[in-house]
Order: sequence, then C-alpha cells, then structure tokens
Amino acid sequence: MNINLLKTGTTLLNALSNHSELIMQAYFTGNVNEAEYSPKVIQNLIDLKVLWRPDAEVQLRLRPSLRTLLEESLQDEHNRQIDANIGNLLATLTTQAEHYKESIANQRYHDAKAYLADLTEHVYTLTETLSTNVRLLWSRISNEFGYVGSVDAKIRENELAQGQVTDMLNQLSMFRFDELSQLAGSQRELRHLLVITLQSSFVTSTQELSLVQSKLIELLGRFREFQGRTRLLKGFMLHMEQQPDFQPSNYGSLSDIPALFNVANPVIKQAAVDVNNVEHEFELVSLVGHIRTINRHWFSQEKTQSDAVRIEQETEVTLSDDKLKMAVEGYFCDVIESGQNMTALEYYQKNDLEFDPEAWIYQVIGAYHGLPDQDRQYLEIDPIGRPDDIFIGNFLITDIEIGLR
Amino acid sequence: MITEQGRVLELLLSGEFICQTKDEDAFRFLQSSANRLSIESQLQILNRNLSTAADGEVFFASYILLQENERKFLSSQFQEISSHLMPVVEWLLMVQEAMGTDRPLTQGTVIRLNELQSVVEDTPAYAEQLGKISRYALFGSKAAELDAQLKLIFKRLVEVGYLIRPNQDKQIYTATGKIDYLFDVLKFIDETENLSLSERAEDAISQTKLI
Repeated sequence: MNINLLKTGTTLLNALSNHSELIMQAYFTGNVNEAEYSPKVIQNLIDLKVLWRPDAEVQLRLRPSLRTLLEESLQDEHNRQIDANIGNLLATLTTQAEHYKESIANQRYHDAKAYLADLTEHVYTLTETLSTNVRLLWSRISNEFGYVGSVDAKIRENELAQGQVTDMLNQLSMFRFDELSQLAGSQRELRHLLVITLQSSFVTSTQELSLVQSKLIELLGRFREFQGRTRLLKGFMLHMEQQPDFQPSNYGSLSDIPALFNVANPVIKQAAVDVNNVEHEFELVSLVGHIRTINRHWFSQEKTQSDAVRIEQETEVTLSDDKLKMAVEGYFCDVIESGQNMTALEYYQKNDLEFDPEAWIYQVIGAYHGLPDQDRQYLEIDPIGRPDDIFIGNFLITDIEIGLR
Repeated sequence: MITEQGRVLELLLSGEFICQTKDEDAFRFLQSSANRLSIESQLQILNRNLSTAADGEVFFASYILLQENERKFLSSQFQEISSHLMPVVEWLLMVQEAMGTDRPLTQGTVIRLNELQSVVEDTPAYAEQLGKISRYALFGSKAAELDAQLKLIFKRLVEVGYLIRPNQDKQIYTATGKIDYLFDVLKFIDETENLSLSERAEDAISQTKLI
C-alpha cells in the first residue's frame, strides 16, 4: 500500500466533506462564485483537482469526473450523457486477459492476481456502464423529456436518444462471445468474468434497449400527433378569421352519412316508481319522508327570505277579511231592521256580493257563533240543506236562514 | 341488480361517449371482443351499432338503418356539434397557451382551474380572449367578471361532456374522449372541404419567424 497515496486520498475526501456546500453550489449553478469564499479555500480545492479553470477569465468549475460521480450517486436527471464507448473497454478487457494468461503460464502468480483484479474492475465497469445508460434512457422516457418545454424540443431530444440507442446497439454487437470464450480458455475465473457476467449483462441490456427503442418511437409518434393537433387548431382559427361566415356543409343530411357523425340519439329515460312493489316499500317510504323534510326546509327558508313582502300581503288579507265581516254585520243588521227572515244566499244575491258563496256561508255561521251571548238571544239561525245520499248521518248545508227570535 | 353489461348498455343508449377517463370500467369492458359482440347484438334490436372514434379511444352508439327520423336527428346533431367547433377550438388554444405546455388537450389531461385563472388574470390578452369565448352561444355568459366567465365555461363544458370533474369539492377538471372526438370532426372537415388547415398554420408560423 502506498502510504503517500493513502494520505493524499484522505486529505482529498476531507476537503470534499469540509467544503461540501461550495461543491454542491458549483454542481447546481455550474460555476463557483469566487467572491463568496476565501482565496485560500479555493486555492486548496484547485490544488486537489476538485475545481479547475477551463480558461483564463472564466469562472471556476467542478472537474468533470467529480460531476459525473455526483450525478451517478444522486441519480440526477441532469445527467444525460451516455458513454457508448464499449469497443474501447472490450479491447482493454482482451489485452488484460492476455496479460493474465501469460503470467499464469509463466507461473508469476503475484502478477496474475493483480491482472485479474484489474480485469474484474473493468468487467464490472462495463456492466455498470451498460445498466446506467439504459437507466438514463428510461428516466428520460418516463418523464417524457420533461426537462425541455416545447414539443419541438422534445422531438429533437427524442431523436438524439434514438441515435444513442442505435449507437449502443451497434456497440453491443461488438461483443463476440465465441472469441471471448476462446480467450478465456479453460481458466475458471476468466470464464466466469468474460462469459457469464458479460453475457447476462449483455442479454438484459439488449432486451431493455429494444424496449427503449420501441417506446421512443411511440413517444415520437405522440409528439408528432401533438404538433399536428396544434396546427389543426391554429389553422382552423386562421381560417375562421379569414372567412367568418364559414359553415361546414351538413354531413348529417348527406345520403351517405360518414360513420363519425352517425351518433344515435339517447333513448333511455329514467324508470318510474312502482308503488305496488312490496320490495321497494322501505325505500319509497324513506324517500317520502325525505320529501317532507325538504318541504319544511324550503318553507323556513322562504320565510326568512321574504319577510318584508309577507307583511304587506298579510295586511291585504285582513282587509278582505274585514270586508267579509262587515258584509255579515250588514246582513245581521238588515234582518234586525226589517224584522223578516232572510237566507244568507238571498242577501248575497240582493247585494251582488263578490265573495265565494261557500266562504260567505261559513262566515255567517262563524259570525253568528262569535256574537256575544246576549246579542245571540235575539237572533235564531236555521241551516237549510239535505241529508247526504250515501253517508247516513251527514247533513249538507246549502244555505242559512237568520231570523228574529 | 344491473350487470356490468347492462350498465354499459345503458350508458350507450343514453348517448354517452365512453372513454377511459369518463368510465374506466365500462371502457375496459368494451376492450374485450366477446363483450363487444354481445353488446352489439343487444344494440341491434334497437337499430343501433357500437362505433368507435379517435383510434378506438371512444365508444358510442350509432344507427344501423337510417330512416327519415334518424336523418332528421343526425342533421340537427351535426349542426349542434359544428356550433361547438369554434368556441371549443378557441378555448382549447387558450388553455394550451395559458398553461404553457405546448400540448393540445387530450383525453386525461388535467386542468386546474385555479392555476388557469391566475395565469389568465395576469395576462390581459387572455382575459380579453376569455371574455370573447364566454359570449359564444354555447356558453352564453353575460357576466363581466373573469371569475364568473371562467366558472360558467367550465360548467358548460362539463354539461356538454368535454370535461369531467372527478371531485365535486375541487376545481380540478379532466378532459374526456369527446375532445378527441372533436379533433376527429375537425380533421374530417379539414379533409373533406380541402381547407388544408395545417399548412395554413405552418405558413403563418414561418411568417412570424421571418418577421
């Protein structure tokens, strides 16, 4: 173990954690505001190769490797780069496998162990790259390129992604498992790394990529549909502006009506209540009960709403009552003055009264019974009528005769 | 007890456009060809057939045989739908532009009335356009306040079936398949009358770009 490297590495990680705020700010804004931090801190980070200045007169930026690390760990959507350089990695793998085999053959087991460690690292890097790339593509699809606003931009992004998928598929076709298996030969470790691990990763990646590709094409179709629809709407508006009196010809009256306009009229109406259905009795009763509560509710509401109006109406009603009452009084006085019997309806016709005859008779009876006892002694009341045809014991009053006792 | 089939039949016979947003169960029921066949055989008794529009996203009942009465109804219905075209198209464009999504409304698009209202209130051009839209016969608003105009427009669109309001307590609306049906109608008119609407729009866009 290299003591120096260990020490420098620890210093670097400490520096990262000490200045995490600065680094995250640089990650989000893209550059560092040098005025906010002390020059010493900045210089330290530059020396540790955390920050760099791409060009004089340009603000400090994060090193791309650190940015990639953050993007990968945070699974940030900003990360849209796809490293499709699989061919290069494959070439490295082949070379290292050759090194390993040579060392084994020469019985240099220490060297062989180091080569195998390197090789393992590379194989896992390769599988990791593949799965990351696929995940990135999916994340773009799942939010439908939500990071760009307009449909046009989405279409461009979609085309870019399709290009990347094609690239990746091309690169994947560079996997030659027969060659790899030949290269691994009878070495168990090599075979495990080069054939089994790579193959399983290869299979999942190709499957997912073909899914990604079909999904991308589907999305592109949808975006194009959006564009088409927007154009249709705008075109229609323009057309209507130019020809405001435009009326499409009535396709509904053509002899051959297009299927689109053949929409049948609604025929179903609500069913009616069957009061004879015993099974419904409970529901119907509860419904009726409900109606009553609504009625009460409605009455109380109306009272509060139209108080002012009702007062006027009431005074009017009492006025007409008064008329009726005065007419009855006049009738009684007439009988007393003339000293002759007279029926209520006779007086009614003689004086051309306007009330309802029935109400008039009721009022006469009511007024008679409302007289003080001593006044009532002078008058006698005799109902004129006949017994009911059907119901025994009922007497129908048709008129009232009043006379002096 | 009403079966799912009976429910779907009732929906179709009451003139509904069945789409996934409006009634997901009924829509799924109609996805199976066996169910479609049995529904069709029942509709046949009433001189009706099961039809689809918007690439199979919308189902509705249509006539099989067209007699005088049916023709009369279809003709008046066409007049109704063509009277919807202008107000709804204008409304669609306004919503699309105000929401800044660049995407035309389609089945399932969610519109939050509060968001739309705040955008329209802040932009006099939209407010003016809204006032114009609300005075179309379809909406028939006489209100001068933006809030009332907007609420009335949405209420009418729910009544006519272009939108649904899944939760009565919230001012959130979802577009139904009838919007897609309207797009189909627009496309049909465009093609039959040779209006070449898309080209016209494209010309206008490229002209503004040149300016």
